[in-house]
Amino acid sequence: MLKRLLLLGQWLLAIWFSPSLLAQNHCDITLKGKVVDAHTREPVAFASIAIQNKNIGTLADENGNYVLKNLCPGNLILVCTHVGCHHAEHEILLVENMSWDFELEEESVLLEEVVVQGKAPVLEATQSSTTLEAAQLQSGRGKSLGDALSQLPGVTTLNTGATIAKPVIQGLHSNRVLILNNGVRQEGQQWGSEHAPEIDPFLADKITVIKGASSVRYGADAIAGVVLVEPRPLREQTGISGEANLQGFSNGRTGIASGMLEGKLKGRLPISGRLQGTLKRGGNLQAPGYYLDNTGVEELNFSWAVGLQQEKWATEAFYSRFFTRLGIFSGSHIGNLTDLRNAIERERPLAEGSFTYELGRPLQRIYHELFKWKASLETGQAGTLQLQLSRQFNRRQEYDAHRQYGSLPDNLDIPQIEFEITTHAAELSWEHRPIHHLWGSIGAIFQQQANTTDRGALIPNYNNYSAGAYWIERWKKYPFPLELESGLRYDYQKMDIGRQGQDSIGQQLEFNNLSGTIGAIYRFPKLLDLRFNFGTAWRAPNVSELFSNGVHHGAASYEAGDPNLGPERAFNTSLSAGLNHGNRLQATVTLYYNIIDNFIFLEPQSEPVLTIRGAFPAFHYTQADARLMGLDWQLDYELIPGLQLESKGSLLDAWNREREEYLSLMPPFRFEQGLKYSFLHGKVESEAPFLRLSMTNVLEQTRIPPEADYAPPPPGYTLFQLEGRTQFRLGRQPLEVGFTVFNLLNTSYREYLNRFRYFTDEPGRNVSLRLRLPFGLKIGRGEGVLE
Amino acid sequence: MQSLNVNLLRFFFLFLTAGALLWTGCEKDDDEGPDNEEELITTVRLTFTDGAGNSSVFNFSDTDGIGGNPPVAEDIILAPNTAYVLSMEFLDESNPNDVADITEEIKAEATEHLVCFDFAPPISAITRIDQDGDGKPLGLESDCTTGDAGSGALTVSLKHQPDKANANPCSTGETDVEATFEVIVQ
Repeated sequence: MLKRLLLLGQWLLAIWFSPSLLAQNHCDITLKGKVVDAHTREPVAFASIAIQNKNIGTLADENGNYVLKNLCPGNLILVCTHVGCHHAEHEILLVENMSWDFELEEESVLLEEVVVQGKAPVLEATQSSTTLEAAQLQSGRGKSLGDALSQLPGVTTLNTGATIAKPVIQGLHSNRVLILNNGVRQEGQQWGSEHAPEIDPFLADKITVIKGASSVRYGADAIAGVVLVEPRPLREQTGISGEANLQGFSNGRTGIASGMLEGKLKGRLPISGRLQGTLKRGGNLQAPGYYLDNTGVEELNFSWAVGLQQEKWATEAFYSRFFTRLGIFSGSHIGNLTDLRNAIERERPLAEGSFTYELGRPLQRIYHELFKWKASLETGQAGTLQLQLSRQFNRRQEYDAHRQYGSLPDNLDIPQIEFEITTHAAELSWEHRPIHHLWGSIGAIFQQQANTTDRGALIPNYNNYSAGAYWIERWKKYPFPLELESGLRYDYQKMDIGRQGQDSIGQQLEFNNLSGTIGAIYRFPKLLDLRFNFGTAWRAPNVSELFSNGVHHGAASYEAGDPNLGPERAFNTSLSAGLNHGNRLQATVTLYYNIIDNFIFLEPQSEPVLTIRGAFPAFHYTQADARLMGLDWQLDYELIPGLQLESKGSLLDAWNREREEYLSLMPPFRFEQGLKYSFLHGKVESEAPFLRLSMTNVLEQTRIPPEADYAPPPPGYTLFQLEGRTQFRLGRQPLEVGFTVFNLLNTSYREYLNRFRYFTDEPGRNVSLRLRLPFGLKIGRGEGVLE
Repeated sequence: MQSLNVNLLRFFFLFLTAGALLWTGCEKDDDEGPDNEEELITTVRLTFTDGAGNSSVFNFSDTDGIGGNPPVAEDIILAPNTAYVLSMEFLDESNPNDVADITEEIKAEATEHLVCFDFAPPISAITRIDQDGDGKPLGLESDCTTGDAGSGALTVSLKHQPDKANANPCSTGETDVEATFEVIVQ
């Protein structure tokens, strides 16, 4: 054991101080994989796989399997040809033995061409991370980003009514969770618990959640983890294709239409492009027994991307716009604590409500816009240099139920609260080619941000400047079972606090600190992956924690910031085991232990604040050392071919070490068990039609601090969900049809992490039907790739 | 073949044009500057008028708004076993040079407002005598009767958008004002 530790130490030293950085070329790499038809999942027999401009190639066998041996490392272009002149090419970076499966997708319904799509090698995080791929994303489609993520173990949501959901990772949320939208750090109003992420979930082709401190690569603040939202890559083959999605939900009579069109030009200027948009409209939702008045939503999003990929360089521009208008349940508006107590005593909203698409007050209008430009350059044998510039603009307008007194009626359309954020960021990174089996990248990021509060003096205006630099190295030598990673980051942040409402603060705050990570993956081939990660991250207090001062309406509390708060520091240890036994059993278990020094939270005060609206309980932002530990798991077990047992669970224990009491508003224990039956008929499981029945159990939260809440946590509940999906062809048009019934038994329940649990039950049964229609248009056959 | 390629080019032309057009919609911080002119209720004024026309005025005020200094309530001093007419006024005195009378706005939106009284001896009864446009009580004018000498509390609240059809309308709506006075009958 000691010997191993010493070895580990030596490796770490080698990572940091390796003096000889000379690349070695061993021509002993094996590339293998399988070629299948994307639609039928049938193996494509005897396809020819060759490496362009090299005299190397092979034929796949009758089962689509191929092997290429004794390859030299480097950049190479793989060319796949098939009988009937089906051909395509793909560039890969080969550095070690790898497996490369080809999906031959028939893009055209009119003419015959087959394109090749491959999966690029990705360095897996040493933290526990889970990815929602397109297929899983489909089942959460139409729900908000937060709700879609809550399918993952260890991820829950913090809700404000039924229309606002924020992701919570292992008990932490808001500023402690970083969201990267297409590689750009989302800069919205994430500080508020009723401020949901401003992202169109239909834009995402893949969402990855990295649980645990992940600051080194993604920036300070990522104490709890990172959510990576990635759109699909731009087309690599010439032609035009697209996708239309139609979806309806019974509850709220919500309708969604989403479309995407992409293409790539052929010829000397092979530009790729994509246009995507989503339209959503929903009306009042229904809880068992009554309508939730004013819970409608409208959303209008679009994005475009244009890119050009050349041999040595690539560039891409991306623009997205998110706009939503959403109602806040009108039964939740209260003026003071007496109103809140009345609402809690009533046990159900006063008004029965009725169905309407009309949105009244209270209302939120949110606009978010992102423009990004990225360029990358192959720096010879050394690596890849990448530059990314981005601009984001965010506007949040909140309309209270309570109209202003004053000159009526002209001011009815003026929001009570209006925040705006303009963010500019530049990021430069350099990813070097593996040197002595060391993979790594170095980067620097600069960000400038202007925050203005046009209405409602909740937080002051401020400018935020930040800069950071990181270096990460990964040691990986196939087939050696151990992988090691180590990284370090420095961040500097300066806040220029401006004028707040009536008072001028004129204060400057500076923070700077280090983040670090050490991780390891140990693989027992075809059985078990063990991952260990220790990360430390920090987070500067945000402006609301420092300077907020006022009544938080809806929460009936008076919240006061503390300008003397210091940064939080997290020490996160996680151990994760991934079991993979044949194709029958897949399981991941993650244990985490997260120490957060100077954890910032709202502490109830003994004296209420008296106002002309009555007395409000007072809460002050304060700091204390905290500890969060827990266990997440996910297990899939094939009982008989086609029938799968699924189990997920998240347990969390969050403790305030200084006050010696539990932390409030932490997710209760949650379990999900499911049975999934796939109608295989020779198809691969992920593509076969299926039916799934699942049951979610949430226990009552008993880990709560004394006297910090107006009502005890709601009792636990059990929900059922039924889901199914199938794919077929209508003529030559492929179609995917899916349905999900949320809350199958129309159960009345309340959720502890929903701030509106005082006022109303959660929505009842919701039947969703979705239709996906991929289409392709085709241009003439490309020029031959094999010369 | 050629025509398809031309179509593709057209597609891109449209694509880029559309993108460019949409891009021109790029939003900027409109820098309206802070707007904190929203009127507040800072003062509740109770005027008790007895049968002889003698008036006494008592204020509950929090002129610096929420936070800062706590609100100040004057003690209500009344005579025993007397009938008064109680009239309410709601004022914005946050700017002493520009006092706004919000009572007028409440009258204008009378159906959306209700003044509620929570009283105990020595006040023996308060009955609203005014009505909104729908013939429902409003509470800006009330009859108030005192009992024997003693002291107690009176809480006055202004409800916004209450459900006046409810059996207990004062438990509905949003509370705009909730002011508690000490009452001394001597």
